[in-house]
This record gives sequence, C-alpha cells and structure tokens, in this order.
Amino acid sequence: MKNVTGIANFHTAPEVLPITQARPLGSTSFLGRYAFCDFALSNLCNSGISQVGLLVKDHQRSILKHLGSMNSWVINTKIGHTHILYNEPGHRDPRLNTDVNNLLENDWLLYDSKSSLFAFVPSHLVCAMDLRPYVSNHQQSERAVTIVASKQRNLKSSWLGSYVLEFDDKGTLVDAVANKGQFSTPKVVSLDTFIINRPSLIDLLRKYAPLYPQSDLFSLIMVAYKEGAISIAVEYYDGFVRSVDSFAHYMDYSLEMLDKHKSDQLFRPDWPVYTLTHDTPPALYGQESEVHNSYVSNGARIEGKVINSIIARNVHIGKGAVIKNSIIFSSVSINEGAMVENVLIDKYSIVERDHVIKGKGKDPIYVAQGAIL
Amino acid sequence: MAIKIAAMILAGGKGTRLGALTKKLAKPAVSYGGKYRIIDFPLSNCANSGITHVGVLTQYESSALNSYIGNGKNWGLNGVNCLTSVLSPKQTEQGSNWYAGTADAIYQNLDWLDELDPEYVLILSGDHIYATTFDEMLEQHIKNKADCTVAVREVPLAEASRFGICETDERNFIIGFKEKPKQPKGTLASMGIYIFTYKTLKKYLKADAVKEKTDHDFGKDIIPSMIAREKRLLAYRYGGYWKDVGTISSLHEANMDLLLSGDPEIDLYSIQNTAHIYSEDNHCQPQYIGPDAVVRDCLINQGAVIRGTVDHCVISSDVIVDEGAECYNTVLMNGCHVRAGAKVYDCLVAPNEIVHKDEEVNASRDGIALFAGGRTVK
Repeated sequence: MKNVTGIANFHTAPEVLPITQARPLGSTSFLGRYAFCDFALSNLCNSGISQVGLLVKDHQRSILKHLGSMNSWVINTKIGHTHILYNEPGHRDPRLNTDVNNLLENDWLLYDSKSSLFAFVPSHLVCAMDLRPYVSNHQQSERAVTIVASKQRNLKSSWLGSYVLEFDDKGTLVDAVANKGQFSTPKVVSLDTFIINRPSLIDLLRKYAPLYPQSDLFSLIMVAYKEGAISIAVEYYDGFVRSVDSFAHYMDYSLEMLDKHKSDQLFRPDWPVYTLTHDTPPALYGQESEVHNSYVSNGARIEGKVINSIIARNVHIGKGAVIKNSIIFSSVSINEGAMVENVLIDKYSIVERDHVIKGKGKDPIYVAQGAIL
Repeated sequence: MAIKIAAMILAGGKGTRLGALTKKLAKPAVSYGGKYRIIDFPLSNCANSGITHVGVLTQYESSALNSYIGNGKNWGLNGVNCLTSVLSPKQTEQGSNWYAGTADAIYQNLDWLDELDPEYVLILSGDHIYATTFDEMLEQHIKNKADCTVAVREVPLAEASRFGICETDERNFIIGFKEKPKQPKGTLASMGIYIFTYKTLKKYLKADAVKEKTDHDFGKDIIPSMIAREKRLLAYRYGGYWKDVGTISSLHEANMDLLLSGDPEIDLYSIQNTAHIYSEDNHCQPQYIGPDAVVRDCLINQGAVIRGTVDHCVISSDVIVDEGAECYNTVLMNGCHVRAGAKVYDCLVAPNEIVHKDEEVNASRDGIALFAGGRTVK
C-alpha cells in the first residue's frame, strides 16, 4: 500500500508502573521474546505498509535499542522506511509532549510523504489486525477519518484511559469519552487506531492544534467532527485484542497466553509477529529440569523447576530453584534452591541461592531491574 | 584494493553417508543443534576472525544453500568493505565445467581472488563443526614465513586412515603427507583447513590444472607437490572441539555434544563472547512447554511446542511433540511432528517428518537411525 503511511503512536500508551518507569510500554518485554510495539509494527508490515513513522513520547533509548537496524519490520529495505519521530520541545515541557505536537515538530514527514492516507496505530495494543480492509473501506467511504473500534465488556476494570465512543439512537457517533471506570455496561472502545486523509490531517494540525496546544490527536479529530468540519466512519474489529493498563493486567494478559485457545487467536500462521532477533542459542534444559505450562525463550538455561511462567532470553535458573506463576525478564539469574512465586523480575537481576520471594495471587511482586535479592 | 586475507569455503560436497538428509540438500546446509546449519560454524568463525571477504563454493544441490548464504547478512558479512560471494560452477569462454576437486574449485575462481588481491587465502570446509578464530593460525603462518599452514589434530590410530596424515619435523614443519593412508605412519591428521600465501597457491593451482594425472585435490595433489618442492608447510595444532560429521551417527553424536550432559568442549553458552555462532533467526514464537510435558537434558529452539516427553533430545523450531508422545536420545529437525502415543528412540528425524500416532521408531535401540520419508533407515 504505497499510498499509506503508518504511524505507530507511543504517546497513547498507558503508564504501567512500576514496569514502565524507565521504558515506554511499547518497548516493554512481552512473552519473553517480544516488545509490545512488535504487534503494531508487524500489523503495519503484514498489511503491506512500508513507510512507517514512530511517534516517540519518551525513553527513546529503550525504543532505539529494541528497533536495532529497524529492518525487522520492513518488507523491502530500500522502499520501506521506519523513521523515529521524537518531540524535543515535549521533552522540555511534558504538558506539550503530545502526539499532535510531535507531528508538528516532525512535519517534514507530511511534506516528504507522498501518501494520501495516514494509518495511526497505538504502540501498545496486543492484536493481529489486518488494516487492509479498513483502508479499502475508508477509500470507498469518502470520509475524512475511519476509527477502528471494538465492543468491550468490563470497562470498570479494563481499557482504562481509552476512549469510549458514544452513539445516538440512529447509531451516529456523537462523542468520545475517556474511560475512567465509569461504565458498567459493554461499550464501543476506540482502539486508538484510525485512518485519516492527508488534507484532513494537515487541516487539524494547522487549524485546530494551535487552539488546543495540549490536546491529543484523537481529541482534535473529535473536536473537528463535532464542529462538522470532518466526517468520521466507525469500523469494528472483532478479533483478539488486549490493552495493558496496569501491572496486574500485564501479569494477567501475559500469563493468559499460556492458554492455547488464547494464543492461537494472536499468533496465526498467516500473520507473523516480527521482532528483533539476537542470535542466542536454543534453550538448554538440565537433567533435573522440570518445566510445565511455560514459555521459554532462546538463550535460557533451565536446571530447576518452572511452572506456569514466562522465561525470557539469557535467563539462568539454577538446580533446585522453583519458579511459579512468574515472569522473568531477560538476563536474570535465579540461583540454586531459590523460590520465586507470583513475581515479575525485571532485567539483569539476581536472586541469590535459597532466597524465597512470593507475591500473593492478585498482588504480584515487582523486582526492579538490576536488583540483587 | 589489496586485502590481507580472503576465505574460501568448500561447500559443494554431497555428504553421501548422510542418506536422505542430503538427498535434496548440500551437506553444509544440513540442520544442526536445533537452530543452526553446519555452515554457520565456518562462516561464524570467519566473521569472528575479522575476515571480511568470503567466497562460498557450492555445487551439489546448491539452491537452498545459495539462498541461505545470500549476501552474508546472517553472519554480519555484508558490512562496509565486506563481500560474501556464492561461487558456483560457471560457464566461461572455455566452456562449462563442474568443480573436479577441491583444488579445481579454487582454481576456477582465481579471477574472483585476483580481484581482491589477498596476501593470504584461508581454505575451509563448509561441513565441519568447531568454534574458533583463525587469528593464531594466521599469526603463526606469517611468523614462520610459511607457504602453507595446515590445521592438524591428533586422532586415534584406528581412525587415521580416514584423514590426510602429516609427518612433521621438530619445528612443526610438514615433511610428509599422505591422504587417507591404508597404513598410517602417524596420528596427526589434517583438518582440511589451510592458510596459503596466495602467490604460492596460485602458482600450484595453475600447475595442477594442466597436469594429466591429478585429482585436483588439496590433500592428494597440492600439498604433496608443495612438499616435493620443499616449500615451507607448517602444521598448526588445534586442540579444541572439531567434528567432521560424515555419518548419521556422527551427526547425532555432534548434536548430543551440545547438551549439558554432552561434551564440555563445545558449549554454545560459554563460547558466546569469543566465538559467537551466528545463524538465521526465524520469527517463531518462544517455545511452549505444555502442562504435562517432561523435558530433561534437552536443547530446544524457539517455535517448538512440547506437550509430551523429551529426554536427551535436540529439538528445532516448529517441532510439535504431542501429549503422550515420547522421544529419547533423538534429534528432531525443524517442522517435525511426533503425534500422541508415538515413541522415538536414538534417532535423527529429518525435517518436516510426521511420526504417526502410537508409531514406534527404532524401538530395538541397536544403533542410531535416520527417520526420513516416513521410514527408519540405519
């Protein structure tokens, strides 16, 4: 799709403390092998979108480290490009660190790009979404914007911070309201995914952005829509989708992938998820290892017991150590005889011999990067 | 622009004794260690030695191997001032010829080498498993002003007749060389790894090309004729792990060497810093180990799904072992599926094979078997 530029938007990702203290959610580890933004970038790539801009909000170090040569998500490395779009003024004044100001700061993309459409996708959404039908319908609809949305339940405890779309009796979109847990019935949630015509995007940035300097792009679209300046179509995505909005949900949404019925919806043979690869050797299991219902990444050496857990790259689990219902980030060592249960251990940490650390089922413990326990 | 050293990797061999594994695939492209192909080892060794110009000489069933090598990006050999070329037999003004031997393969690519104008040429085999750098070997070659340096290692006397056997003087210079001698005089075997001073190599290859009685082979022709003319041939003793996997059982053994219970001399984990082995990384999911799985003493690549029992196994990507299936002392190559109730013993299972429900493979356990084309071969 040469006429579409994809924008992976890191501005709209929820803060998931304490995991996102030093990294954005988009480049946070998921299932030991991926970063969340791999799904957005793979969806763009698999949809045939080669021109991609990454609207980076903060912690660009972490994003750049994950992106590597940036060729992992590009079909043709000459034709395709992945550009980092960083909002420098936003760094000085966090109030101005919005996707709109980032686009204004990097308006060269609009000048350089010959695309007639821009497809915005959030950096953090976990889904296998084919954007082609939405683009095709958008082109036929003659609307300025197509919003991709999904009907969701449990809005009291999930999709917090996302926009809920409200319709009148005739089914016409009337408003978008941020979800703060106030909805007790199923609602239509914007997936922060929308396709916008180039002239409309330029209009929004030139006419509306100066009036609302702290607004995000989706809000600007809604302002322009309510003023009758642009038209919007709403399309529905009914596939598997998750938006991590809290530490508890990070644990839940990760560990639920151990259920084949769930993971099969996300990982489809026709829809590969690309990621940065590291030339790590296959995982090595010792003679006394015991592993059940777990994901294990390459580079892991497992000599102990692992149950219902996710083990990332270059993790070493010593003899007699037991890991249960836990997520272990890369390059962590868990020494002989240690017990780890309901815990997320961030990168480069060491759990010393025979140390015991247990979180409660609904209240998992987070161990910070580089900790020695 | 002249360069210091170019590497030529001989990767055209068929590997007849690997049976069905090399029916449609060159031996250097055969799967090894769950995620690698054998040629990853010599290519990574070149990369880790700082060698920037590599020619890979392919011939037998070369399509898959040629595609795999590509521009050398899997080993980082596509950087600035790097060149990775697949050198297959070609048509020339003189006609078209297959490579008639190891020396002929290099001879037919002298134009490629002339373009680079290297001072030294490293000649390697594409089907050996070892992790090293060639820095020390080159250093000794230069220091001793050798015309040729041959990497050698001690082998058991019983196996010596499988190799080229060197006789050396007290300074490690080679004074006698016999390829696959029926009655070996010693146990110092050539590993088929040579560093030549290019000018000398070129002269001997040209002379060999016009000889009437020659096999165009380094071991049989070039090395003996250099010794006969009293050239300086140095033996470089290599003591690390090295395997020429010629048979099903030696390929099986080399795979098992990688396990924690295997040969400590080859440990993919501890060699990371000095001799990282690079390969093609696929985009599979992380491996999944099922609720009732038993995984002991194994090396398992990403993308595998293990729901049954795997004990002392090496398992590639996209392998599925169903619940209730059992594999012991077995190598499962990429894409294999061992269905429920099946039992596989002491086996190399070829890529994309299906072991059917309740099928028993090599249950007699009287040697290592190859399972390919739905049947067991010994």
